[in-house]
Amino acid sequence: MLEQLLIFTRGGLILWTCKELGNALKGSPIDALIRSCLLEERSADAAFNYDAPGAAAYTLKWTFHNELGLVFVAVYQRILHLLYVDELLSVVRREFSQIYDPKHTGYDEFDEIFRQLRKEAEARAEEMRKLKHVGKAATVSGRKEGQTAGQKGGQQGRRTQRNSGSNGSGNDEDDSDSERRRGFVNNISIGTENGIKESRALSAVKGKENGPPDTGAFDVSKLQKLRAKGGKKADSTAANKASTKEPKKLVKKNRVWDEDLPSESKLDFTDPVDERGDGIVEVVAADQGESMMDKEENSGSEDEDDEEMEGAKPNAKKKGWFASMFQNISGNAVLGKSDLQPALKTLKDRLMTKNVAEEIAEKLCESIAASLEGKKLGSFTRVASTVQAAMEEALLRILTPKRSVDILRDVHAAKEQGKPYVIVFVGVNGVGKSTNLAKVAYWLLQHRVSVMLAACDTFRSGAVEQLRTHARRLQIPIFEKGYEKDPAIVAKEAIQEAIRNTSDVVLVDTAGRMQDNEPLMRALSKLINLNNPDLVLFVGEALVGNDAVDQLSKFNQKLADLSTVPTARLIDGILLTKFDTIDDKVGAALSMVYISGAPIMFVGCGQSYTDLKKLNVKSVVKTLLK
Amino acid sequence: MEQWVYHIKQQVSQIEQWIRQQPADQLYIAIAAVVIASALLILFRTFNRSKANSIILAGLSGSGKTILFYQLRDGSAHHGTVTSMEPNDDTFLLHSEVEKKGKIKPVRVVDVPGHSRLRSKLDEFLPHAAGLIFVVDALDFLPNCRAVAEYLYDILTKAIIVKKKIPVLILCNKTDKVTAHSKEFIRKQLEKEIDKLRTSRTAISSADVSSEYTLGVSGEAFSFSQCHNKLSIAEASGITGEISQAEQFIREHVKL
Repeated sequence: MLEQLLIFTRGGLILWTCKELGNALKGSPIDALIRSCLLEERSADAAFNYDAPGAAAYTLKWTFHNELGLVFVAVYQRILHLLYVDELLSVVRREFSQIYDPKHTGYDEFDEIFRQLRKEAEARAEEMRKLKHVGKAATVSGRKEGQTAGQKGGQQGRRTQRNSGSNGSGNDEDDSDSERRRGFVNNISIGTENGIKESRALSAVKGKENGPPDTGAFDVSKLQKLRAKGGKKADSTAANKASTKEPKKLVKKNRVWDEDLPSESKLDFTDPVDERGDGIVEVVAADQGESMMDKEENSGSEDEDDEEMEGAKPNAKKKGWFASMFQNISGNAVLGKSDLQPALKTLKDRLMTKNVAEEIAEKLCESIAASLEGKKLGSFTRVASTVQAAMEEALLRILTPKRSVDILRDVHAAKEQGKPYVIVFVGVNGVGKSTNLAKVAYWLLQHRVSVMLAACDTFRSGAVEQLRTHARRLQIPIFEKGYEKDPAIVAKEAIQEAIRNTSDVVLVDTAGRMQDNEPLMRALSKLINLNNPDLVLFVGEALVGNDAVDQLSKFNQKLADLSTVPTARLIDGILLTKFDTIDDKVGAALSMVYISGAPIMFVGCGQSYTDLKKLNVKSVVKTLLK
Repeated sequence: MEQWVYHIKQQVSQIEQWIRQQPADQLYIAIAAVVIASALLILFRTFNRSKANSIILAGLSGSGKTILFYQLRDGSAHHGTVTSMEPNDDTFLLHSEVEKKGKIKPVRVVDVPGHSRLRSKLDEFLPHAAGLIFVVDALDFLPNCRAVAEYLYDILTKAIIVKKKIPVLILCNKTDKVTAHSKEFIRKQLEKEIDKLRTSRTAISSADVSSEYTLGVSGEAFSFSQCHNKLSIAEASGITGEISQAEQFIREHVKL
């Protein structure tokens, strides 16, 4: 049963809700839908799942009427897999757009229309389901049976299912009909493929009362086969779980490349550990000038590009004017899916040549199609320019951070509360965590914030020395415990040390790890859960292609799954590195922001201390669409 | 086709003859009249265009702007609202003044979405603003205090607001609820937060500051009276319709 169906404008006013379904929705699913789905350019998704506090799990489906600026949303409980929702939404959209008037704000007459539509949709869905089930029974008589039952159902609707009416032979039939229907409902609420198959088989079994006996026998054997299949499926998933448990027991052995190399003599010449790391070599404090974070973006080159574009635009406009003038006269200016397809395809290809992940480009194009379909073309504009404008707006919206990226403000807030601001740098191998950590430390130092480094990369040889050198050059304290120690414990002690020596910020460096490596991700999750940092910064390189999607989604998923608290700490921000190596293939920025929802807080654009910038959203969007 | 062309040519030649027949003075006067009329039209248009005549409703997402918009226009909140995805822009007579006699000018009110991803829409409407109402959720104020202060700070330091001295009304909404904070409390909290923001934002150098203007007097604690543009604070309740103070503000600042 539908929980609720709402119609509202894009400006936010609710035009109509169904008064019959009077259930008040728990939590605020509509607001969550808008914030995390429609405004995030995921409007082409099939459905949105919302978990209200209070154990109500809803699924939401929606559709747009782009010309009038209306949104239609249907909410239902997730355990019921209602099949008629999509159809119902499109029918409601059609009917409502006929009575819609921008001046009116109350549409009570729609109640009656909606009741009618809902009945019809439910009835149609019943029919479809019955036809499907009976079709599988593969007997002519069985089909006839199902069809008459379906017709009966269609006439009377779900509400009158108790009074299924005589099908010809009295009480037996009634019981079997209603039992079948109950069986259907139960199985659909379980919602597995197996369930539906079983119910189909069950109905066929029950139907054997009416059909010839040999078909009954056939179906029983089919039922057993299906049961076996279902059992196999369950077994395979259990096997997967078992197999993933296996590797945990194996201990990681040192890799031996050659039999001859002596494994005893350790080539570890690490200096003996001392807390502050001062002393042996006198190093001049690094002062390379102002960090690029604080410099204005020079917009000189951008102006030149603008002028060139403006020269090209009038030419393009002239051609478009002639072609579309005829179109406008002929009156055929409503955008349909087929009109949008070519323009969207070229746009998607252009995005992919700019190194945007394929999945992301696809989703974005679908979302733009959903928001433009049915809209009337403005006068003297071509389809391509409308699509371009919509894409530009969407990209601007995605890349604009949804929360403040003002780290200095957060640092000051933490300082007032008397605790250090902890930033953890995570990422896969070789993206530049340690280098950019030093850059961030340099920038913070320039704003008179006291920084402390924590060397929690206890795996890679030379990692601790690297941080020690940076600390010496920047003249800041570093907390280290050498190699082969548990990073979570090292981080915990580092934070305690920071409280003792009143450092404002603690920058925690971790070892690089692949997103598929289960034990390492578990260790990372332990570090984050134990220390509860203020900012989890994912370091990603701009050279990455489609793997960006996989990296970020798996990192977030592992952090969520292995978290000990209900509100898991996910990735809060992204640091994009090696930005100077890509000329205009800036797509990785878009992929990362889209898939994780986290804003890009820093951009690393070189290998010295000053090479740290803020993301210039407008220039990235311009580069992506050039 | 050719017949039409021939006809048109005939008409044109007839008109030419008629014009030549008129005395020269009349012709010159006619031309001068046309030129003056068109010049006046153009002047009027440019004047009207740059005339600032709209009131902007801004604030965080969920503070009650859309409800306020519909209260001002229709006097009721209808069936409720959800998070706005697009601005609501309409020109109307304030609902409470529909019965008033005399010439009342309709007011253009723009409700800009508060969601952080849609903040840039505010800049589109600021050039025409005669006043800005900043709506604050008085009920849920303390958890969002920092975000409110940041948004308010951003607005108050925008170049257009400072140059044109656009008056700002801080409207504490949802005051019908018992646990809503009073406007004095909100004012003090906001002043404190903006003071902190001032120091941290000016510490960041030029690239981060989106405008060249800073608020208040350096060295002193910030207070709203230090702003060059008029800043006032009032209370309202969108759901019950208690919006008289907002309407007063609108009437003051949109010239009748």
